[in-house]
Amino acid sequence: MKGLVLIKQVPNTDSPFRINSAGTWVDESNLTYVLNDYDRYALEALLRLKDAGAMTEVVALTAGPERASQALRTCLATGADRAIHIKDDALTAAAPLVVARAICAAIKGEAFDLIACGLQADDDNHMQIGGAVARLLDRPCASAAMSLELRDGGTARVERELENNRLQVVDLKLPAVITVQTGINEPRYASLKGIMAAKKKEIRTVTLADLGMGADAIGADGYRTVRLTPPPKGKGAEMLQGPADQVARELLKRIREKTGVI
Amino acid sequence: MGCKILVVAEHEGGAVRDITWELLGLAHAVAPQGGWGAADIKAVLPGQGIGAVAAAIAGRGAAEVLLVEAPELQDYACDGYDRAIEAVVKAEQPEILLFGHTPNGWDVAPLVAAGLGVPLATECSQIAREDGRWLFSRKAFNGKFIQVLDLGKARPLVATVQKGAAGPFAGTTAGQVRAVTPALGVLKARFVETKKGEAGGVDLTQAPVIVAGGRGVGAADKFEIIKSLAAALGGQVGASRPVTDMGWLPHQHQVGSSGVTVNPKLYIACGISGAIQHIVGMKGSGYIVAINKDAEAPIFGVADVGVVGDLFEIVPALTKAVKEARGQ
Ligand SMILES: Cc1cc2nc3c(=O)[nH]c(=O)nc-3n(C[C@H](O)[C@H](O)[C@H](O)COP(=O)(O)OP(=O)(O)OC[C@H]3O[C@@H](n4cnc5c(N)ncnc54)[C@H](O)[C@@H]3O)c2cc1C
Ligand SMILES: Nc1ncnc2c1ncn2[C@@H]1O[C@H](COP(=O)(O)O)[C@@H](O)[C@H]1O
Repeated sequence: MKGLVLIKQVPNTDSPFRINSAGTWVDESNLTYVLNDYDRYALEALLRLKDAGAMTEVVALTAGPERASQALRTCLATGADRAIHIKDDALTAAAPLVVARAICAAIKGEAFDLIACGLQADDDNHMQIGGAVARLLDRPCASAAMSLELRDGGTARVERELENNRLQVVDLKLPAVITVQTGINEPRYASLKGIMAAKKKEIRTVTLADLGMGADAIGADGYRTVRLTPPPKGKGAEMLQGPADQVARELLKRIREKTGVI
Repeated sequence: MGCKILVVAEHEGGAVRDITWELLGLAHAVAPQGGWGAADIKAVLPGQGIGAVAAAIAGRGAAEVLLVEAPELQDYACDGYDRAIEAVVKAEQPEILLFGHTPNGWDVAPLVAAGLGVPLATECSQIAREDGRWLFSRKAFNGKFIQVLDLGKARPLVATVQKGAAGPFAGTTAGQVRAVTPALGVLKARFVETKKGEAGGVDLTQAPVIVAGGRGVGAADKFEIIKSLAAALGGQVGASRPVTDMGWLPHQHQVGSSGVTVNPKLYIACGISGAIQHIVGMKGSGYIVAINKDAEAPIFGVADVGVVGDLFEIVPALTKAVKEARGQ
């Protein structure tokens, strides 16, 4: 069995986010980037199948700009066997469907039994690349996987997370796609040995043009972000300022007056 | 035939799920902006043995309910539902197709949109017309920003809609129910069962006070300051998802859409950014205090009182003040 993990490099959620001058996305100049948290769990899910002898190869793929190769290196250092990088700056503004098409084109001719991705990317929060890839490849897909078990007869049993602490158990006929929820496992970190070994592992780079997707693949259909804005302020909290002791006294006063718990 | 707005209805245990009424409410609210009326709004309903559910929806918001019944659709499974919805969309040619942003909605919507070859806007809080185009407002960066999307020329425009984005449709309609039987093909996903997640020893739902810590607390052992404040206030310790994912606290402490919903008299959020999935679980609390070093954190949008600062300074100071006040 071969496994593919789809990964994305995203801004560190702790970054100082600012809206760019065009007002259409965040200003990328001040950001540091990491491997999307959900994707660490997706990679781990496949590596565990490989450790158990159920999978012979785990491949990591990303579609993104030059810098995204760093996230692929992280995957290689953590245990992925090789990587594929669809390298194109234009991808940042592409519709998820276009990204999904590029991913499918890049893995044409390769037979992956299980494709794992994250439930969502922490930047755009689209929650749709996995499902789109599954449909384009005509495979079943289960989102928000909280457990994964390969069973006889070529099926994967997945527990999908629902709301209010409930789970939906579903059997997928392989080949299949899953999107992984955080908490499904405890992702390992790259070891020093892994980091050294990663240097010798292959990252195959392809461009959109190589995949037969011309300049008109992105944006020609009119898909675009019109603007990015701060969220509505809500009811607006009363903000307290000052030294910690003083703030604490102010908080205590309000807690006493408003809640009656003291 | 045909319609302008098609709503994907959800049901469970023979009852219509609330999100369905909200989707119909949204459809009726935005239809006039497209020059459409109540007759242009329909619903698609996949399932089995759900004639009564269909009738209820026809009586409350849908001019027609396209009912797709088959034994394979008894319970939700991605590919059966996906094929059923896709077939109805192709027949009805709506301008707009709406799903709920629910576990089943977000599971199936990308399949349907990709099957139709059109873009999808997820977790939308608003749909509005501007300069002759439909624009979809959705959160990005876990709620730090609102992204306004133009989905472009392709039709239908497909969206999943956040819970609470619109009030439930409250009127009545004299809609029809029409059974349709599209070919579902060979299905590759099979529903097995629905079950409860693991239960644990703590019950946050009864706590009068919850002091909750998030990723900002930084490590399992650093939770001591959160625990001390909770103890001083006679309350329980809550957590955001990353905290329980990383094993800093057991899963039962997780507050939010996939954890527990709480409504204590006092909720103190420390080092929690305020993602929507956390907020839905605690916004009903009587009085909300937020402590976060980022002045822009969305948690301040639901808090009654906020402190921009380091939780490692504020929390111990508050614990000290509470203890003094209680003579401890
Ligand atoms: C389907 C689904 C279901 C989910 N269910 C849940 C759920 O039930 N519950 C839940 O909580 N999440 C849930 N999530 C995850 C959610 O989207 C967020 O990722 C999560 O809530 C973020 O947790 P956080 O605020 O602790 O972490 P972050 O977003 O990383 O925020 C950490 C915060 O700590 C602040 N901070 C850091 N250091 C300090 C300091 N020293 N002093 C003060 N502040 C500091 C930072 O400014 C930041 O705002 C779900 C997601 C999905 C997709
Ligand atoms: N550009 C990309 N390249 C490869 N995989 C991606 C890309 N964007 C998203 N993914 C995968 O799809 C998941 C969901 O992302 P999204 O649909 O953008 O929320 C991520 O967790 C990744 O596993």
